[in-house]
Amino acid sequence: MKRGRGWIPLAAIALSIAVLPWIRELTGFPASYLVLLSGVLFWTAQATSWNILSGYSGYFSFGQGAFYGVGVYTLAVLVGRQGQSWWPALLLAGLAGVLLALVIGTIAFRLRSLRGEIFALLTLAIPFILSAIARVTDSIDGGQGIILPVPDYPDFFGPFQQFIFWLSGAVAVLALVIAYGMVRTRYGWALFAIHDDEAVAEGLGVPTFRHKMIAIAANGLIAGLSGAVSALQVGFISPEGTFNLRVPLFVIVMSVLGGRLFWAGPAVGALYVVTLQNRLAGGFEGWSLIILGAVLVLLVLFAPEGIMARFVRRPWTIVSVVAGVLAALALYGGDPVTWFAVALGIAAVVALLPAGKPTGRRASAPAGRLGSTRTDPGSDLPPPATGKTLLEADDLTRRFGGIHALRGVSMRLLEGELVGLVGPNGSGKTTLVNLLSGALRPTSGSIAVDGADIVDVAPHKIVHQGIARTYQIPRPFNSLTVRDNVVVAIMFGREPRGLTASRQAAEEYLALVGLSDLGEVRPGGINLHERQLLEMARAMATRPRILLLDEALAGLNPVEIDNAVAVVRRIHRSGVSIVLVEHLLRVVNQLATRIVVLDQGRLLAEGDPATVMRNPAVVSAYLGSEAHAQRD
Amino acid sequence: MLSVTDLDVFYGDAQALWEVSMTVDAGEVVAIVGSNGAGKSTLVNAVMGINRARRGSILFEGVELTTLAGHRTCRRGIAIVPEGRRLFPSLSVGENLDLGAFHSEARRHHQESLAWVHELFPRLSERRHQLAGTLSGGEQQMVAIGRALMARPRLLLMDEPSLGLAPVIVDEVFDRVERVRAQGVSVVLVEQNVKRALDISTRAYVLAEGRIVKQGSAAELAASPEVVAALLGV
Amino acid sequence: MNVLQAGLAGALGGSLFALMALGLSLTWGFLKVINLAHFGLILLGSYLTFELATTTPLGPINTLLVTAPVLGVLGAAIHIAYERFEVSELSSLLVSYGLLIILVQVVHNIWSADFQRMDAMVNPYATRSIRLGDLGFPLPTLLAAGFGLVLVVLVSTIVNRTYAGRALRAFGQDREIASAFGIDHRLIGMALAGVAGASAAIAGMLFALRGTITPDAAFEWVGLVFAIVILGGIGNVVGTFYAGLLVGAVSGVVALLWTPSHSPLVVFSMVVLALVFRPGGLFPRRAGRH
Repeated sequence: MKRGRGWIPLAAIALSIAVLPWIRELTGFPASYLVLLSGVLFWTAQATSWNILSGYSGYFSFGQGAFYGVGVYTLAVLVGRQGQSWWPALLLAGLAGVLLALVIGTIAFRLRSLRGEIFALLTLAIPFILSAIARVTDSIDGGQGIILPVPDYPDFFGPFQQFIFWLSGAVAVLALVIAYGMVRTRYGWALFAIHDDEAVAEGLGVPTFRHKMIAIAANGLIAGLSGAVSALQVGFISPEGTFNLRVPLFVIVMSVLGGRLFWAGPAVGALYVVTLQNRLAGGFEGWSLIILGAVLVLLVLFAPEGIMARFVRRPWTIVSVVAGVLAALALYGGDPVTWFAVALGIAAVVALLPAGKPTGRRASAPAGRLGSTRTDPGSDLPPPATGKTLLEADDLTRRFGGIHALRGVSMRLLEGELVGLVGPNGSGKTTLVNLLSGALRPTSGSIAVDGADIVDVAPHKIVHQGIARTYQIPRPFNSLTVRDNVVVAIMFGREPRGLTASRQAAEEYLALVGLSDLGEVRPGGINLHERQLLEMARAMATRPRILLLDEALAGLNPVEIDNAVAVVRRIHRSGVSIVLVEHLLRVVNQLATRIVVLDQGRLLAEGDPATVMRNPAVVSAYLGSEAHAQRD
Repeated sequence: MLSVTDLDVFYGDAQALWEVSMTVDAGEVVAIVGSNGAGKSTLVNAVMGINRARRGSILFEGVELTTLAGHRTCRRGIAIVPEGRRLFPSLSVGENLDLGAFHSEARRHHQESLAWVHELFPRLSERRHQLAGTLSGGEQQMVAIGRALMARPRLLLMDEPSLGLAPVIVDEVFDRVERVRAQGVSVVLVEQNVKRALDISTRAYVLAEGRIVKQGSAAELAASPEVVAALLGV
Repeated sequence: MNVLQAGLAGALGGSLFALMALGLSLTWGFLKVINLAHFGLILLGSYLTFELATTTPLGPINTLLVTAPVLGVLGAAIHIAYERFEVSELSSLLVSYGLLIILVQVVHNIWSADFQRMDAMVNPYATRSIRLGDLGFPLPTLLAAGFGLVLVVLVSTIVNRTYAGRALRAFGQDREIASAFGIDHRLIGMALAGVAGASAAIAGMLFALRGTITPDAAFEWVGLVFAIVILGGIGNVVGTFYAGLLVGAVSGVVALLWTPSHSPLVVFSMVVLALVFRPGGLFPRRAGRH
């Protein structure tokens, strides 16, 4: 549900929560249903908040219990120990969650060695520490536990259970609104990009640190608020009951079950798990967790995208199944929760039945698709180099351990130029591209764009200076469609736009490289050549002045090479200056206005293509030198 | 002894080799040259069983290798010096060499093989206890060659053994290739350093864009302007 | 003297958790799966020991003759399934969590949620302790330390000094090249997962020996055992054992000088600091020797 009118179901959910208690009174359903639904709402808030950080960005957290627990204890201490009223305590609990999140984020996301599993383990340790602090600090818990009185609340809310239902509902709706809002704006898309490839995201202009901090803060806020509401509901708080593994593990199960990439996924997961547990509680006690465990195993293995991913593929079938079962309920009567569980079960089975792949390859033959892009009207003359220096690298050196990848290389790029960067394997070409794009920092030397030094500038800001790059081995965001790959680049590029505008603008860049027909396909469904074209479209979508193409033609067949050459030429003619790293000298000779040759990390030669290729030093670097051939 | 017929290799959707055929006879050094991305490494990796071929056959001494599990190829008498050396960096030099002789046949001749490797590369004996990842590039290449020889291959696949090495070390590496051949081991030599490769080869194949575009005796190819053209693109 | 006693007793107790951590660390480090089901195997090990020791004349320690092969095979079978479905490191966490829930619930269904313990008749070890000078140590913790020491020496000798161990380390570093030199990754993976399963049997038996067992114990181990794996360095056999002793000793001393509730505070703060400053573990490995 990444696109479309998600706010309609969202508004419907909010409205139903608002009016449901009155409907219940009118229809005479027992109050226990409100308890059950409060449970669904509590888990919806918890799972959705976890999903905003871990599902969207891919930083798997086991620390949900920490945010939840901080919320629980903030409210419990303020209300139960200090006798404060419940609503300021509730707000402070949310704030406490945010503060804890920011502390964890500041430490974790600044770590240079941070990898996914380190983050997971770090967050695993936090709840144990908090639990111990609560237990040993008398002013918090001291091992006694805290008993909470039933809070004073306006009579308007009716019975206590109804009050809790509305509070849980408000927090759950807040969680869903935040989750939905992120999916519809750059906040969510930054996280999707980070999930798929953080370095590439940074390289396309995404301020990754800031967005991870926003995500973890949202996680802390909602989990803290929701924890505080559950503290009010439960009435007795202890460290053992608060900081156990139930919360962190349940939110993971629910989110995976529902679908991690969907704003409503965790809510669907919560609905399933709570209903299932409720139904299995009578008589099937011993089986409920076994079934839950088996469901998790089977889902991860066979439907790792979750129920929502399947649901959005055939929504009407599933809606009619649920409606049908509920209609049967109306006709035959019986326990509505059982009927509802049956409906959910059938819906899940229908959703999981194999459907046609949503993003399969289209049928047309590659040659046909490429045909249109190969026509190359007008002259082949590149725009004249104006002589204005765009990019200037001076005396660049880069060491990896003891190995010199680059030694004192200087080069510059004039406006309108297409510089071919060539050299044998291991000569330092890709290292130079990594330095120019800010992915690596030089050991010494300087790089300037328009005279301004960029050596210490973060990669995402270098994009805003007008430098974009492609990768030798394409690194698309695999969970996004081809079009959405381009959309991310537009949203965070030099002229950022909102989601809808970016979606429209993306067409232009897809057309530029000839991928217009493949916008809805996932990168896994297109071939290497098309992925390389996607790399170019994505780089161009940041609106660069300088494009660094790192072996954009590697591994292509001759027809594809001709097509890619045409695309590069078209980009060049649109006024972008290009540095082209390429092994196929035939291609470089066709395209480049100037050639720079590297060998063993040094600048070997530069000049116009014909002259450079006759330079004996260059020939010997490529073919192996005669001199060295004379051995002892 | 090795005969590759109509080999097609894919990486996912991307085809890397198109109908490649080649042969290696006993006692030969066969060079495979071509620009980067031409499919040279893919070819030797397919012979070794690291990449799987989608179509075609690889016969070694009459045994079909394409249907053999990857880890069984070396037992048949083939070993590889992979591109970029790919040592086991946190194992010692000695342990890397021992692993070369992992299969039972090679393990039986462990002492002889080790003596031979130490004779070829005396420095490795001094550095026996050092972690492979801490060696210089040249020394790492020696370990990679030594590790392959420990497997007692009759056919040695060498993928860019001179890559990124200083000229003196390159001389040493090529010299050792000749000494290995003198012991009766056939060699398939993938090289960017075309002149040097052709110098010590009997025959050569030129790969371009995943296809064999030219083959012949090393002397023939060295003199061919087409080879130069294929590699330089001029 | 009291501090020394507390530290030593704690360290010996920690060796039991080191044993639990060993299998987890091995499969994580070399096979790249985070196998939470390992805790389920340990739990199953304790209950099988309890059951066999109570219903047969084997005696608690000899039950290993049955439980070690059974859990070894089970561990290997689970690993084959991971391989078959090409489970990644992250999804292994989810899948194995599902398996853990199932295993705990199966134990729960068979043996109930109540505390179980072997009779003093069956298990004479639980109440005995041995005095060394002024210091007294309960026999179960001494046995845990003994088994731990033997297992760690055995496994680290295998890993560092045998062909199989070298193959295993090579496999952990570059699967393709390891396979090119004749190392069969299926066989290696199965063997290692089998060893981890057998180690779960030993850990489970020792846990049962200490006294009461409940199904929920499996979840209580998770935090402490992960702490030991991280502090010891993932895949580092000897480091894991040291880390177990260290965590045990620190817990013991903190419990004495402060209160037992402070122990997790100190231990998990150590974990956070280790993750921030020494993500490779406290005991980096040195060069392998011949």
